[in-house]
Amino acid sequence: MKDTILRTENLTLSYEEHPEPVLQSITFSVQKGEGVLLLGPSGSGKSSLTHCLNGLFPRELDGSMNGNVFIEDRNTSDYHPGEIARKVGVVFQDPDSQFCMITVEDEVAFGLENLNVPYESMIEKVDKALQWVGMADYKLAKISDLSGGQKQKVALACILAMEPEVLILDEPTANLDPVATKEFIDLLKRLKEELNFTLLVIEHKLEGWLTFLERVIVFSEDGQLDYDGPLRHHLQFHAEDLHNMGIRLPFATRTSLEEKRQPPHPLFVTDLPGLPSLQEERTRGKAMGDAWLEMSNGTWKSILHSIDVTIHEGEWIAIVGENGSGKSSLSKILAGIQKPTRGSISLDGRPLNKWKEQELRKEIGYVFQNPEHQFITDSVFEEVAFSLRHGGIAEEELKNTVEEILAFCRLKGMENQHPFVLSQGQKRRLSVATMIVDNQRLLFLDEPTFGQDEKSTAELMDLLQQKHDKGTSIVMITHDMELVDRHATRVLVMKEGRLAFDDRPEKLWSHPGLPDFHLELPPREQWKRTIKNKEHTYVSS
Amino acid sequence: MFLHNVNPTVKALTIIGIVFLLAFLFDPVTPLLYISWTIVVTFLFGTFKKKYYIYYFLSFLLFAFGMFWTTLVFSDTSAPSGKTLSLLGITVPAENLWVATSLGLRVLAFATLSLLFLFTTNMVHFILSLIQQLKLPPKIAYGVLAGYRFLPMLKTEFQQVLAAHRIRGVNKPKTWKEKIVQYQRMAIPLLAGAIRKAERTAVAMESKGFTGAKDRTFYRPMKVQRKDWLFPLMMFGMLGITIALSVYFGYFSFYDGQL
Repeated sequence: MKDTILRTENLTLSYEEHPEPVLQSITFSVQKGEGVLLLGPSGSGKSSLTHCLNGLFPRELDGSMNGNVFIEDRNTSDYHPGEIARKVGVVFQDPDSQFCMITVEDEVAFGLENLNVPYESMIEKVDKALQWVGMADYKLAKISDLSGGQKQKVALACILAMEPEVLILDEPTANLDPVATKEFIDLLKRLKEELNFTLLVIEHKLEGWLTFLERVIVFSEDGQLDYDGPLRHHLQFHAEDLHNMGIRLPFATRTSLEEKRQPPHPLFVTDLPGLPSLQEERTRGKAMGDAWLEMSNGTWKSILHSIDVTIHEGEWIAIVGENGSGKSSLSKILAGIQKPTRGSISLDGRPLNKWKEQELRKEIGYVFQNPEHQFITDSVFEEVAFSLRHGGIAEEELKNTVEEILAFCRLKGMENQHPFVLSQGQKRRLSVATMIVDNQRLLFLDEPTFGQDEKSTAELMDLLQQKHDKGTSIVMITHDMELVDRHATRVLVMKEGRLAFDDRPEKLWSHPGLPDFHLELPPREQWKRTIKNKEHTYVSS
Repeated sequence: MFLHNVNPTVKALTIIGIVFLLAFLFDPVTPLLYISWTIVVTFLFGTFKKKYYIYYFLSFLLFAFGMFWTTLVFSDTSAPSGKTLSLLGITVPAENLWVATSLGLRVLAFATLSLLFLFTTNMVHFILSLIQQLKLPPKIAYGVLAGYRFLPMLKTEFQQVLAAHRIRGVNKPKTWKEKIVQYQRMAIPLLAGAIRKAERTAVAMESKGFTGAKDRTFYRPMKVQRKDWLFPLMMFGMLGITIALSVYFGYFSFYDGQL
């Protein structure tokens, strides 16, 4: 029998400003060396749990905490401040705001300094930790020069250097692109085998962790412990419950649910029976309309190199490529937010610089990655009404239009809320609402589903699809190949500031350069291929 | 490279000491000599981008000239000695020129000393040295370090908000009133973002065992070594020599309420 390293007993937590507790009598225990996935939809108190486990609560809590947390059989409230850091280490979600030093080595050393590790062994430990995560070459680098994936590796090194017994990762891959996510999980898998720490991963999605963690603890939206047991078994037999909670299931499981199959549901694409249904093999064939936006020889600083692209009526274009390949710059230049250093862009044959800013904004909308950046008023209603008021429209008509748009974006009833207090999903939909209120015919979106949970992603994509069906052309930057597969009529692949591919998505899936673009096949395509391979084997044997 | 290796606290205290002493003097010759000395030392014993130094220096020069000119133009025009000088089309008492030059050069002397420090000191090392030599509480020091990291992030965020607002059809402000309204609008997302980030950073620091306690070990031990004393010795020594020279040639005077 292994030793229990971490144990909670009837843990209940509530914040001052909310009467409802965020965690309700949570009891579980974790054995030394275990790997556990803590799964729950956004708002289920998962991050609050982290603060309880690393001893930050109840010390720093505005509210009340009942019940106990034990680490190695000692109550966390009996530890001195700072002492728990020797036992429990946490890697947080945001790669930018968990550092306080300038260079990588200083940051890794920071935790060791706090633990009063003597100078000589500190030097050794910093090197060792950076080697573990494969960042030894970046020891002297500035943290601000690293990519998101590299920052998360450094964050991991900081914690590993302190050699805690328990490692908690709070949505560690939420801000990473798919390639960096995969790399991070693989690294973690390798390190766990090598160092044998106890691992708790807090997540709202499953993909990536399935082949790694064996046990899952599921939290419901009201902060109760819903299930505690083997991960795969739970997914195979209770996928529907998880789906209803708003947790993003793996593609295979989701498809099986959609096709109303009986449990056990498959977990991997390779286990899916039959071929993907073709009914979805879309209405994409729609004839392309007029050319709207044209760019020729577009060049910007040393980031974009002579790009030619034309956007037509009725298109849904996905811009993909690895981080730093120039996706955002391209979309900003196309939308007229940034001026190109060379080359020309025209809308309806008229150069962009001949358009008045006001007129242009009535044609082209742009939804930024962080919706908060775009909010300029104090209420949801005013936010949508803002650009209409400029047009000098009658109050009655204004009201009707705003109501209509809010209903369309499922924000009815929130008219008087401050934009900043909305949930992530609502904020995103509000920022879309402000960009379609003038009936803009071209809509740009910078990673619209980034940081959104399953439910808000689905709602948003549904909304965009409806808008597209009514004739709006959409250009979106994304990393999610499933979205590309589902919605896009055309894909632009950016690589090192050049347009490396520009065609229909189906053509991309069979393009030999796919791995070179740092892209993966969408799950539906993987599925097709597995089946074809199986058939092939069957025929040839 | 020598200046970069001087213990930052020793360097800072030396500069403060010199500035303090210079504040008691009031003649143009002593600061002029000392300015030349400071610049020579900075260029000889420091490595940095000369271009940036010149930019900074020129802006301080402009400021110093401003001080000089305003003192000259707006000072009492009744000259006790009766001697006057004609300068750039205006006539001023000779004493006033003396006073104005002293004042301008004194400002410039403070500036060159500050630039010496700025261009040869790593800010992180300076703060670490303040903790280790002057017992600055780590709670404050690491807070400042974390904030120092935030500045460039805040700048990019500011640019993003600006672009995002433009896209919403917010016009470029024309009047002062519009400008104030615009800054208010922009402040909200920036502040909300900054507060959230600061809170997350604080949580992350605490979960790495940071308590603000004074007993901690250091990855970069900052020590005061014997060679560090060379810098104050050199700087104060030269000040002594400069003063001696200007006394010898009869220019020296203490500050005695000349303004």
